[in-house]
Amino acid sequence: MPEAASSTLDESRNWLRQKFDGWLKRRGPTYPPLVLHYRQIFILPTRFGWMLGLIAFAMLMGSLNFNNNLGLFTTFIVAGIALLSMHIAYRNLEGLSIRSCSAEPVFAGGDLRLLIQITDNANRLRSGIRISASNRNLYNGTQDVSDVEPDQDATLTLSIPTTQRGWLSVKRLKLSTRHPLGLFEAWSLFWPERSFLVWPQPADQAPPLPASARLRESPMPGDEGDEFHGLRNWREGDPIHRIAWKASQRHQDLLARQFSRPQQDEIMLSLAQAPGLNREQQISIVTRWLMDIDREGASYGLDLGHDTIAPGSGDKHRIRCLNALAELP
Amino acid sequence: MIRRWLNQRQNMSRVCKPSNTTVTTTVLAFLVASSPHLLAMPVWMAMTILATGSWRIAAAWLDWRPLHWSIRIVLTFAALGAIIMTYGALWGRRAATAMLCLMIAAKLMEMFQTRDARQVAALAFFLVAAQFLFGQQLSLLPYLLIACWLATSAMYRVQRDEDQPVVDQNRSQAIDPQIRRNWLRELRSGLLLTALAIPFALVLFALFPRLASPLWGLPENALDGRTGLSEEMSPGSIANLYADDSPAFRVQFDGMRPSQEELYWRGPVLTSFNGTTWSQSSFANNPPERTPSVENTPWRYTVQLEPNERRWLFTLDYPVRWSEEARLRSDFQLLRKRPVTRLISYEVESQPNFIDSPNLSPTLQQFAMRLPDGQNPRTLARAAEFRQQYADNGELINAVLRWFNEDEFFYSLETTPLGWHGADEFLFDLKTGYCEYYASAFAILMRAAGIPARIVTGYQGGFWQQSSEYLLIRQSDAHAWVEVWLPETGWTRIDPTAAVSPLRIRENARSALNEPLTWLDAAWVNRLRNEYDRLQHYWNQWVLGFNSDRQQQFLARIGLDRLSGPMMALLLVMMALITIVPIAFLLRGLGQQRLRLSEPERYWRRLVGRLKRYRLKPESGETSLEFAQRAAIELDNGDELIQAARLFYQLHYAAAAPNQADLLQKLKESAKNWGPIMNSGTKATLQA
Repeated sequence: MPEAASSTLDESRNWLRQKFDGWLKRRGPTYPPLVLHYRQIFILPTRFGWMLGLIAFAMLMGSLNFNNNLGLFTTFIVAGIALLSMHIAYRNLEGLSIRSCSAEPVFAGGDLRLLIQITDNANRLRSGIRISASNRNLYNGTQDVSDVEPDQDATLTLSIPTTQRGWLSVKRLKLSTRHPLGLFEAWSLFWPERSFLVWPQPADQAPPLPASARLRESPMPGDEGDEFHGLRNWREGDPIHRIAWKASQRHQDLLARQFSRPQQDEIMLSLAQAPGLNREQQISIVTRWLMDIDREGASYGLDLGHDTIAPGSGDKHRIRCLNALAELP
Repeated sequence: MIRRWLNQRQNMSRVCKPSNTTVTTTVLAFLVASSPHLLAMPVWMAMTILATGSWRIAAAWLDWRPLHWSIRIVLTFAALGAIIMTYGALWGRRAATAMLCLMIAAKLMEMFQTRDARQVAALAFFLVAAQFLFGQQLSLLPYLLIACWLATSAMYRVQRDEDQPVVDQNRSQAIDPQIRRNWLRELRSGLLLTALAIPFALVLFALFPRLASPLWGLPENALDGRTGLSEEMSPGSIANLYADDSPAFRVQFDGMRPSQEELYWRGPVLTSFNGTTWSQSSFANNPPERTPSVENTPWRYTVQLEPNERRWLFTLDYPVRWSEEARLRSDFQLLRKRPVTRLISYEVESQPNFIDSPNLSPTLQQFAMRLPDGQNPRTLARAAEFRQQYADNGELINAVLRWFNEDEFFYSLETTPLGWHGADEFLFDLKTGYCEYYASAFAILMRAAGIPARIVTGYQGGFWQQSSEYLLIRQSDAHAWVEVWLPETGWTRIDPTAAVSPLRIRENARSALNEPLTWLDAAWVNRLRNEYDRLQHYWNQWVLGFNSDRQQQFLARIGLDRLSGPMMALLLVMMALITIVPIAFLLRGLGQQRLRLSEPERYWRRLVGRLKRYRLKPESGETSLEFAQRAAIELDNGDELIQAARLFYQLHYAAAAPNQADLLQKLKESAKNWGPIMNSGTKATLQA
C-alpha cells in the first residue's frame, strides 16, 4: 500500500514537473545562449526574508496599537529597505546573458566540470551570481558563486558527479542571486544547450591483455618497399613480379614473396577479448587496457563489431576511441 | 521522507562562517540599537552586554574558540534569573526589552555562522522600534537612522560573505587594506539603502491608515517614573522639579495672549491637609455647580502635553470648552479618563472673568478651614493677631502679603526639611523657602484666621519662543499658589510667592533665584536649548502628533479624504512605487566603484577578459596591439583579435572618423562573438 501511494505521489509530482517545465519553456528561451528578461526571472523572499517580514509585522502592529509614530517610521524604513533589496535582486539578474555551457569529457565516476559562461551586457556590476542545480539536492548540492564585472564575462563551475558512461543530459539549472541583503532570491531556470559525453570508467583491476590482441603475431602484409617477410604459395591475383622464381624451382608450386611493414607493437582491442560478467564490465576493462596501452605509447585500434577504428595513437586518437566506447549501445 | 528532509536542511544550512568585518558590523549594529535600553538597565547588566559584544569582536579578530556550550547555558540562565531579580518578573516592557538584549547577547556568544549574524541584524531593527515605546524625542532620530544604517550594512556584509567563493571562506583574514576598503564601501552601501528607503517610509508614514483606538490595552508605567507634578504637595516636592528642564507642555495661542502674570496653569487642587502634606479631597469630584459663560472667551489655545502618566490636563482659569475627552471637577480641574502616556494635544478655551462658587456650602467652608490639632502654635497665634487687627478679610490678606514682602523672607531653593511645626519653623525661624513653603504657610495662616483656603499646584509662566509663537512650559516652571474663598469673589487666587519675589512671576524661577545652576546655565546655552525646543515642538506637532485625526485633516487638505479602503491601498502602492522605482535606477552597481569606461574600452576589455582563462594577460607597459600580437601566436583565430585591437586603437585614440559608428559596430560584434580558439601546441602545454 505505501509503495502504491508513493508511486502515485511520484507520478503526480512528475506530471506537475512536466507541466511546470512546459510552462517555463513557453515563457521564453530556456537554453543558452539566452538573455534573462522579466519573463524568465522569478523572485520570492528567502527564509530570512520571511523572518524579517515577521519582525516588521510585529513592529507594525505594536506601533499602530500604541500609535507610536517613530516605531511606525522604523517599520516603514525596514519595509523600504526590503522593497529596494527586492528590486536590486531582480535587476541583478535582469539583462544578464548566459552564453554557453561547456565541459571537458570525464570518465564515469568522476565529476563533470560544467563551465557556465555568463556575460553582462548592460554595463552593470552583478554581485553574487550563484549557479546550482534547480533541485537543491541534485548533484550533491554543487554550486558556485561569482561577481560579474560590468561588461565582462564570468565563468561559473558546477561539479556534476557521473555514474555511467554515455551522453549525460544535465538537469535543469538555476542561476540565482540574493544580493544585496539576502531578503529576496531572484532566479532563472535553464537547461544546458547540449548533453555531455561521459567516458566509461576504466576498471580498477583488469586481467592482462590477451595475446590474441597483439597483432605482431600476424603482421600486416606489406608492399615491396617493406621488409621481406617470407614465402607463401602463389595465389591467383598476386602480381607476377612477386613470384620468387628461384625458390619456386625447388618446389612444386609457384611461391610468392611476402613483405611486411616494419611496425611497433600494434594492438587491436575488442570487447570479446575482455572477460566479464556483463557488457559494461567488459567495456570498463577494455577502457583500462586502452588507457594503459596509450600511456605506453603503443598504437592500438578498436574492433567494436559494427565499427572498427584502425590502430593509431595520440590524443585525438585516444579521444576518438573513448568517445566510441562511451557511445556504445 | 524524513531523512530526505533532514538532508535538505543540512544542505540549506551550509555552514558559512562570517568574516571578521561582518561580525564587527553586526555587533556594532546590535550595540547601537540597544544603547538606549542599556542606559535604562542596571549598570552591571549593561556592562555584561557590552562585555559580550566586545568579546565577540575580539574573538573574531583573534580567532578565539567559542565558549563551551555548558558555560553558555549557565550564563543564559544566570541572566534570566538576574532579570527576574531586578524587574520582579519577565514581563513588563523594561523587563522584556532587557531580556531581549540579554538573549541577543547570549546569541553573540555562539554567533559563528552567517545565519546567526543575520538574525542579530534583523533583531536590531526590532530593538529600535521597541525603544520608541519609552520615548520619542527628537534626539532619538539620529539613533534611529544610525541603528538602521548599521543593521542594513550588517545584512549587506553577511550576504557578501555568503556570496564569497567557498575557497576563500576559511582563510583567516589579516587586516589588509583591501578588506578595510571593501568594508567602508559596504558601510556606504548600507547608508545608501537606508537613505533611499526614507522617502518611501515618509510616503507610507503619511498615508498608512492609523488605528483610531488601540487593539489592546495601553501599558502602565511607560515612562520609567519620569517626574512631574505629583498628586500631593509636601515641602520639597516642587523644589525637586526646579532642576528638571524637560518640557512639560507647549501652548499655542489663537488670538489674544495673556500677560505673563496671568499664566497660571491650573493642575491638581489640594484641599486636605494632614499637618505635613496637602492632598486632593474627594469633595471636588462632582462637576461644578456653576460654569463660566461660553461667550467671549478671550483665551483660545492648543496645549501639546508631554506624557506624564497623570490624568490632569493643564488649563488657564477657567476652562470652558476643551477638545479632549475629559471631565471637569468642581475645583475646575480637568481630568482625563486615562493617564497621558504619549504626547497629546488638546484645544481649550478659558474664561478668566468668572466667580468660582460664590455660595460655598458651610460644610465645604468648614472643610477648607480644617487644621490638624496641636501643630504650629506660633502660626496660629500670629493668625489670631492678624484677625484682631483686621476684621475685613481683604485687609487681612493684604497685611499678610505685606508681612511676607517686608520682613526678611527669601525665595530660595536652599530649604531644610521641616519638622512637626513646619509652618512655625518656616515663618519664624528659617524665613527661606520655595513656593510650596510660602503657599502652605499662607494657607495655614488663612485657615487659622477663619478664611477657607486651598492650595493649587500647576505651572506658572513659561517661555515665549521668539519667532514661532508658542509658549514652552518646563518642569522647572512648576509652582504652587493659594486660593482663598471670599464671599464677594468666590475662590480667589492669591500667590504669596509673588509677594516675596515678584520676579518669579514676571519672569521665571531661574531669574528669581539669581543663581546659575551650573556653568551650563549661560545665556547662549539657554538660547541653544530654546532653539532645540522649537525643533522639538515641530517634531511633536508633525511627527509624533500625527494620529488618525491629523491624518484625515492632512488627506482632506490634499483632497484625498473620500477614498475607499481599496482605493487608498492602491494609492499607497502607487506612491510607494513612484518613490522607490526611480531611486532604484540610481542604484546601478550598488556599493561598488565602477570604472567609467568608454564604449570601445568596454568591448576591448571584454575581449581581453576572455583570454584570462588561457593565462594570457596584458603585461604592464604592453600596448593593446602588442598584446594582441603576442596572444595571436597562441591562437588559431588571432587575426581577428589583432583586427579588433586596431579597431580599438582607431576608436579610442584617433580623431573621430566619419565611419565611427560602423567601426564601433564592428568592434561590438567581435566582442560579442569572438572567443579564443587555442592552437594545439598551446593546448598541450596547458594540459601539462
